[in-house]
Amino acid sequence: MKIVEKSDKKQVKKDREFKPNIVCFCCNWCSYAGADLAGVSRFQYPASIRIIRVMCSGRVEPAFILKSFKDNVDGVLVTGCHIGDCHYISGNEFTKDRFERLMKILKYLGLKDRFRLEWISASEGKKFAELVTTFTNQIKKLGPLNNI
Amino acid sequence: MSKSKNSSQKSQTDDLIGAALVIGGGIAGIQASLDLTEMGFKVFLVEKTPSIGGRMAQLDKTFPTNDCSLCILAPKMVEVFRNPNIKLMTYSEVIEVSGHAGHFFIKILKKPRYVDEDKCKGCGDCASKCPKIEAPNIFDMNLGRRKSIYIPFPQAVPPVYLIDSDMCLFLNKGVCRVCERICEAQAINFEQKPEEVQIEVGAIIVAIGFDMLASKLPDNWGYKYENVITSLEYERILCASGPFEGHVLRLSDEKEPHKIAFIQCAGSRDFHIGIPYCSSVCCMYTAKEAIITKEHSNSSECYIFRHDLRAYGKNFYEYTQRAQDEYGVKYFNSKISKIVEDPKTKDLIIKYEDLDDGKFHDLRANLVVLATPLVPSEDSEKVAKILGINVDKYKFFKEKTLYDKLSSEQEGIFLCGFCQGPLDIPETVADASGVANKVSTLLYLVRNTLLKEKVVSVPEKKINLEDEPCIGVMICHCGINIGKYVDVPQVLEYIKTLPNVTVAVDNLYSCSSDSQTRIKELIAEYDLNRFIVASCTPRTHEKLFQETCEEAGLNKYLFEMVNIRDQCSWVHMEQKVDGTKKAKDLIEMAVAKSRLLKPQKESKLSITPEALIIGGGISGLIATLNIAKQGFTTHLVEKESKLGGNLNNLYQIFPGYQKASEFLEPFVNKVKSHSNINIYLNSNITEIRGYIGNYDVIITTKGNKVNNIKVGIIIVATGANELIPETIYNYKKEKNVITQLELEQKLRKENIEWLDNIKSITFILCVNSRQKEGITYCSNICCTNALKNINILKKLKPDLALILIYRDLQMSKKGNEEFYRDSRKNALFLRYSLDKLPIISKTKNGKFNYKITLFEHNLKGEVEFYGDLIILATPMIAPENFKELSKMLKVPQDQSGFFLEAHVKLRPIDFATDGVFLCGCAHWPKNIQESIAQANGAAGRAIRILSAKEMKTSGLVAEVIEDYCIGCGKCADVCPYNAIELIEVEKTFEDYTLCLKKSNINSALCKGCGTCGVQCPNSAIFISHFSFKQINAMIKAYLKN
Repeated sequence: MKIVEKSDKKQVKKDREFKPNIVCFCCNWCSYAGADLAGVSRFQYPASIRIIRVMCSGRVEPAFILKSFKDNVDGVLVTGCHIGDCHYISGNEFTKDRFERLMKILKYLGLKDRFRLEWISASEGKKFAELVTTFTNQIKKLGPLNNI
Repeated sequence: MSKSKNSSQKSQTDDLIGAALVIGGGIAGIQASLDLTEMGFKVFLVEKTPSIGGRMAQLDKTFPTNDCSLCILAPKMVEVFRNPNIKLMTYSEVIEVSGHAGHFFIKILKKPRYVDEDKCKGCGDCASKCPKIEAPNIFDMNLGRRKSIYIPFPQAVPPVYLIDSDMCLFLNKGVCRVCERICEAQAINFEQKPEEVQIEVGAIIVAIGFDMLASKLPDNWGYKYENVITSLEYERILCASGPFEGHVLRLSDEKEPHKIAFIQCAGSRDFHIGIPYCSSVCCMYTAKEAIITKEHSNSSECYIFRHDLRAYGKNFYEYTQRAQDEYGVKYFNSKISKIVEDPKTKDLIIKYEDLDDGKFHDLRANLVVLATPLVPSEDSEKVAKILGINVDKYKFFKEKTLYDKLSSEQEGIFLCGFCQGPLDIPETVADASGVANKVSTLLYLVRNTLLKEKVVSVPEKKINLEDEPCIGVMICHCGINIGKYVDVPQVLEYIKTLPNVTVAVDNLYSCSSDSQTRIKELIAEYDLNRFIVASCTPRTHEKLFQETCEEAGLNKYLFEMVNIRDQCSWVHMEQKVDGTKKAKDLIEMAVAKSRLLKPQKESKLSITPEALIIGGGISGLIATLNIAKQGFTTHLVEKESKLGGNLNNLYQIFPGYQKASEFLEPFVNKVKSHSNINIYLNSNITEIRGYIGNYDVIITTKGNKVNNIKVGIIIVATGANELIPETIYNYKKEKNVITQLELEQKLRKENIEWLDNIKSITFILCVNSRQKEGITYCSNICCTNALKNINILKKLKPDLALILIYRDLQMSKKGNEEFYRDSRKNALFLRYSLDKLPIISKTKNGKFNYKITLFEHNLKGEVEFYGDLIILATPMIAPENFKELSKMLKVPQDQSGFFLEAHVKLRPIDFATDGVFLCGCAHWPKNIQESIAQANGAAGRAIRILSAKEMKTSGLVAEVIEDYCIGCGKCADVCPYNAIELIEVEKTFEDYTLCLKKSNINSALCKGCGTCGVQCPNSAIFISHFSFKQINAMIKAYLKN
């Protein structure tokens, strides 16, 4: 009895301390610059994300997301220029298509709430900080991803 | 015929020298020098002090982005130092000038450093052993101390020590010579004498900057007290490398001040004993200093004693609002009578009149920071005399005309930066590109005659992909920007334990020139084949470190950068543990990627030497003329039927009162008659394809005539519109409520009968601008425009009653304060505040049209008066069609809809997209003088590219792995640049040959976006620097824990 209680407490404490691991893809021209602007403006957000810079969100392969989940990431963000603003003219339109399709798979796997695709411009530092904050809270509510 | 033309051109060029002298090594001189070398001219950069960097190097942060000032400046300083075509002459002064435009003879005096510049390694051993004779540190505004052998500041360029001859024991008393014994490089040379150097140049740029008036201030400002300091002194105190290492302390007891008072206009805008003009930048840097103070210590209280609030630039007004709303900085609308010291506590008592309640108050503060006037450099008159140019009544250099502030009255001598009149950093940078353009226009015939190619002395290391990766890592503290919020030593220890990390070091500033030397030493010493810097953002600093790696023989694509400042320490200021963990992860991920990096080759791209200018207003005209004059075909597209833009709607222009039409005429005529210029009126751009050097543009003219042109660069000069105040003050219904532009149109009629029935005119400023919601910005030009029109109207009808209702008057810049004082006699000035807008009602008695009711802010009472005509000063806004253009050009807009430049401070007229530039009101509302200067700047930035015949393309490209390619063509379908085509390849097998389709990528056209690689069903495309394996390795490295 006592032992169970102890481990429960431990579990509660662990839950409270759950700090999600989130991979965030940023395109070089818009969302990465937006993330920089969040820094320059000192908009604070949780230290839960690790940004991987790519030149265009069109470079992000759906496989990267699946691999991340396979390696137990708690959430994945993919960010790019707003539709129409892509530095490479149309790269993000392919991103949109690809991830709409990936979403179906993620839905099937029960992972859809752990993934989000967002458009962030170079002037949206605030939006970037808010996105990370809300997404982190969302993942915290879902709890850690156990092996799938 | 052609022969004689050639020979006359030859004799013309014979006397021209393809080099320029730049006097002053601040940001103005630095930018002008860098631009000039890219345009094909040799530069002699002469700086009076031992290091370049100027005032900007002394600043802690810059407004309105709070960028670390030195962080953005240092890369440029280093670039100057490395540039083989800039002869840097620090600690030197120009002493004699003769000759004429195109060919000047210059004598320069080089003062003795007593340290051999070529031998000194900047190690600092000498200073550490120099006996303790400590002199005031000039760079720290005399607040800190330094030895008699010293370097001005850690990031100084050149990174060379010097001996203060007034302080040195040996030079004064003949004893000591410790430094000479200590220096292993044997760089100390007490025998050095002043040396005269003679050079010949084609043009001269003067950029000697400003000083801050302090000791000559009248007594009532209390500067004599210990705890009253100037804002430049305070910048040093705020700075992490300043006298108190970034701790905000006051001088008397070196304790943290709790209450800090910032006093604006201390000694300026004073027509009796002070400086008459407004220094332009103080309102903004004071807001910045208060914000930074609150960031240092949130419990401190900041008070700003202001007069008018002059926040007229991009995002400026919003910034001052943030200081109040988010940081709790308190503003007092006040007049200071006196500042006195409490001798016991050394606190200061500020005696002031609060203009909001009309009463006198005292405020006790622990520290007072004075925004004292910025005045011409003390050398300005001396330099003017040597150059044979004039200074104006304030001792700023006198410009050629009111609308050509970049030229002096002397041909071939140009003016740039604060030495011509007050301006901020982005304006200075745009002006610097503008003067470079002026030089280029003068000397274009001798472009590229004196240039040297950049020589990389270390040959590129051959990297075999099978070689074990040897990675070097440098982790930056960025002063305290990273070090305060991330435990850098802990990160360093962790990184050292990672496989393949051969060496890892930390340092205070990775961007400084001594750090570049350190990186090169590390690469050589440890025979590294990969290098990583963890510091700020690659968007600003990657290029610098890549070049350093190249100089050490490392292919630049073997360098990787980690952002642990903008995306870590700055956004996790309260999460040191998690932030430190994040920094470790990020660097570890970069190490994982770095192991898999490959060297990449860069190919060459030809440049179409033609330009496209969008918009035929004054900015577009100036840019067009400047580019065409230098021999490049220029296409000017204007959507209206007439060139001239907004100037076609104006009557007389500020500040010279010339008729706009007469002012415009010569420019339009020159453009029309120039053989290099093609004009497309009634035309729009309907399609833009391509990239720097090779844009394909379709111009559609009314009546569906279509022109296809090919250009190398594009300049956006599309201007801005006046806001039509549909819903405000009954504008729509009342024919006597009009905008300023409508007034100008009335004035243009020449016939002033419309004024006959008008006895009283009221101007309302800030209509629909500087609000909490909607349009939040200040439109910069409405105040001067309104005052100009008041003066014009008064002249036309002297008995006219004129009333101006304002909130703050934007009268910064040289001469405007006097203009304002002169205009006061022509109108009644009443002040209102945002929370109590004036009310206009229609009268019934018929004598006047309207009754205006107003709560007068200064009088604290309601005022009522009558008027016949109401002029609304509405802001300039970005036209709707910017959106379309922004999409076509792939360039962003800011939150107000104006075009967003590449960097607010140091790239004000570039876009992030290469080969596209910006000028005039499309960037931000500005007057004619500023538009012309900026158009010169944009032309200059463009000429850099047009004058180069070819450019190197990036090595960030996609490559097809032919064996995997199945020839499906999916990659070609998604490529936005048409860089991929399917080609037939013959494959020979044992006894037969097959013709197979394979994908082929043109690396000159490929921009490296990587979309094709994702689309490929067979993973047959390798995306360099962002390969599948590399990104996977990063994910794995992060998630393995």
